[in-house]
Amino acid sequence: MMIDHKQVLADKLATRFGRRRLLHGAGAAVAVASLPSVSRAADGGHIKLAWIDFVDTLDPHFTSYLGAIKIHNNIYNGLLKVEYDGEKVSFVPDLAESWKLLDDKTHVFKLRSGVKFHDGEICDAEAVKWSVERVWRGQPKSPHAWKYDYLESVEVVDPLTVKLNFKNPYAFLPVALTGSTGRAGTIVPRKAIEKYGKDFGRNPVGTGPFKFVSWKENDSIVLEKNPNYFEPGLPKLDRATFLIMKEASSAVAALLAGRVDGMSNSPLQFINQLKSNPNLTVLGEIEGNYSLMAMNCRRPPFDDINVRRAVGFAIDREALIKQAFFGLGIPAYTPISPPMTGFFDKNIAKSGRGQFFDLEKAKAFRAKAKEQGPIEAVILTSEQGQYGTRVAQTIVPMLDKIGIKAKLELVERAAWISRRNAGEFHMIDMTWSADLDPDETIFPEWHTGNAWNYSGWSNTEFDKLVEQAQIILDVKTRRDLYVKAEDILMDEAPMAILTHMPEFKILTKKVKGFKYTPADSLDLHTVSF
Amino acid sequence: MLRQALAKIVQTAAVLLIVSIVSFGVLKLAPGDPVELMLGEEYSKEAHQSLMIQLGLDRPLPEQYVDWLGRFMRGDWGTSFVSRTPIFQYAFVEALPVTLILAAAALGLAILIGVPLGVISAVRKDTAWDAAAAAFALTGSAFPSFYLGILLIWIFGASLGLFPTMGFVPPWRDFWGGLYHLAMPAITLSTPFMALIVRITRANLVETLEQPYIAAARARGEPAWRVIWIHAMRNVLVPLATIVGLQLGTLLHGAVLTETVFSLPGIGRMITDAVLGREYLVVQAGVMMTGCLVIMTNLVVDLSYPVLDPRLRPR
Repeated sequence: MMIDHKQVLADKLATRFGRRRLLHGAGAAVAVASLPSVSRAADGGHIKLAWIDFVDTLDPHFTSYLGAIKIHNNIYNGLLKVEYDGEKVSFVPDLAESWKLLDDKTHVFKLRSGVKFHDGEICDAEAVKWSVERVWRGQPKSPHAWKYDYLESVEVVDPLTVKLNFKNPYAFLPVALTGSTGRAGTIVPRKAIEKYGKDFGRNPVGTGPFKFVSWKENDSIVLEKNPNYFEPGLPKLDRATFLIMKEASSAVAALLAGRVDGMSNSPLQFINQLKSNPNLTVLGEIEGNYSLMAMNCRRPPFDDINVRRAVGFAIDREALIKQAFFGLGIPAYTPISPPMTGFFDKNIAKSGRGQFFDLEKAKAFRAKAKEQGPIEAVILTSEQGQYGTRVAQTIVPMLDKIGIKAKLELVERAAWISRRNAGEFHMIDMTWSADLDPDETIFPEWHTGNAWNYSGWSNTEFDKLVEQAQIILDVKTRRDLYVKAEDILMDEAPMAILTHMPEFKILTKKVKGFKYTPADSLDLHTVSF
Repeated sequence: MLRQALAKIVQTAAVLLIVSIVSFGVLKLAPGDPVELMLGEEYSKEAHQSLMIQLGLDRPLPEQYVDWLGRFMRGDWGTSFVSRTPIFQYAFVEALPVTLILAAAALGLAILIGVPLGVISAVRKDTAWDAAAAAFALTGSAFPSFYLGILLIWIFGASLGLFPTMGFVPPWRDFWGGLYHLAMPAITLSTPFMALIVRITRANLVETLEQPYIAAARARGEPAWRVIWIHAMRNVLVPLATIVGLQLGTLLHGAVLTETVFSLPGIGRMITDAVLGREYLVVQAGVMMTGCLVIMTNLVVDLSYPVLDPRLRPR
């Protein structure tokens, strides 16, 4: 829709300065007379979101970034999806109509009938089988293939029934299958992938509520309504534009100026300002995440368990939350976070478990360390994410109190990743996020030799416990195993665990019907104006 | 003449070759690689190795460079590792026009405002006008452009809601809409440049106005405007053109920040993202394009001297 910008600007000036003054003011009259008309998308049915997150690809089986997954969820469906009732996270059928366990290793999914991909291809059991196999053992190898490590076979029972046979019970499966954090269970069409090959990530085709329209580099990603979407009456919007903006302060300004209808995320320093604006809704609860200061167990000084333990108890989490997180967050005692229903202990603060601030205890451990003189350590940090270098900066004086002279080494993101992967650091500040199951939040990060175990920590008893917990479905038994595993992890302290944090979505008040889930997703299915 | 032209072409090619080797080498020597960034949290040694082979990044550095150069010369700029888009389309067709338009608007604004301000300052030397222009010139040069951009966004975009805070509308599709969206970025980018033009114009004009031929023109009874704009300004144009040419690099440098702050999909933002993401081929394309731009501008400036100053014309 073309709108007359002369009129828009005249109206804005009139609102600001008063119509009478505007009409009589010579300067303003000249300004209005010379104003251009500019094309601008119509409101009502077209949502525009400032996207400050990085989007690598729109192929759900090959992404590694949450900023991309938030968009994927609007284009694709999984066999299951995440639901949240304000208290409890659950996994419910999405493309599947029902999900049953024949025995503890055999999962049967009955699919919805008549579901089609955006290009008209039928989404049936064959499509699900092909999709699962693409992640499981396809070439090139999907980075999510490990999520099907226990898979034995995929069977098409009938055109609308698919069976996944596992070697053993697999407790993590619901999360692995959901499109939000698992990514391995998102269903993609064979024909489109064969047509586009490696470029499928730039030409995505799914079954979701929105169809892909365009992706202009460094500018925008545009989706439009899928009129054949299988959920009746959804989606409500006609169009969604994700405006790629690198500079968060520009995105905030655009939001305050009413140029966009929401933001995918926001650095914490803006949150209180955004919350105080009556035109905005700021949604954010503590999600499945934790921030940490990882310590390199392979080299001095943190090859000494007592030095690591001392660090674990020397950090004042409350002060850290105030100074580095602008008061937005809660102390973390262990990795398992509040949305992991059935596993998170609401009374953990009083339980004496995990790590917490206790300077006397920290000094006692420090006194047992091999090195009794001053210890020098370098914290590798990078200006990235919601917290930048603030965590590292705040921790330095805290470490000084136990005789650790920490220095910050600020590097750009590429160098940070490279050195993290190579284990070239003493300490490194990190975050693990969007986790909904304890397996996801503990196993890949701390199991011996795993790619994400950057600290190089190893404990055979811990390994056994988390391996066991992967193949048990009973929640209570799993919880007991994780409690034991966490106790070992926190005691041996390959990291100082710091906080659990909220992830924010900011929308203007005119945006209605958004369903928040603590999985860092931004699903537009039910959104309207 | 032909010999001079050939020499110029060889010189240009040599400069571009050196620039391309340096940029390729520097980026490759920097820690980190695109595969690690692409894999993000899904990093594993096996996945890394497999993707390095797929992208041809496991080959020796000179081989990669020669391969790139050969393809580039044949017009194949390659494909972006992350976005999978052809780089020619992304860099040349989409990003370059944005930066060229932004730079042209900033340059135009700087000249249209900077030159008259410089003239007023010189003609009204040691008056309040002169002091005001000097204050503007000093503030403009000292003000970081990204900060000015953010201030403009907050005042005229977020608070008053008068101008768009972001985005690019191609002027060839919607001329006035394009200018409306360009207004704040162009002001941001042009301010330091404008300040420089004010200073250069003033300094040269003050000197020129003391020349005997100006006194002679005045003695002949020529109107003041003619003395200044026809007789005196002609002598200011050569140093002004030199400065404009030399400062194009600074203007492109400023475009990096301006494009980031105003979310404009131009070359500046493209190169920044590519450097941070270790997108070697995109960086190379960006460096070659900006290199060509700077060289071509200098060439145009060289060619403009005889036009601006008759004494430099071949006899």
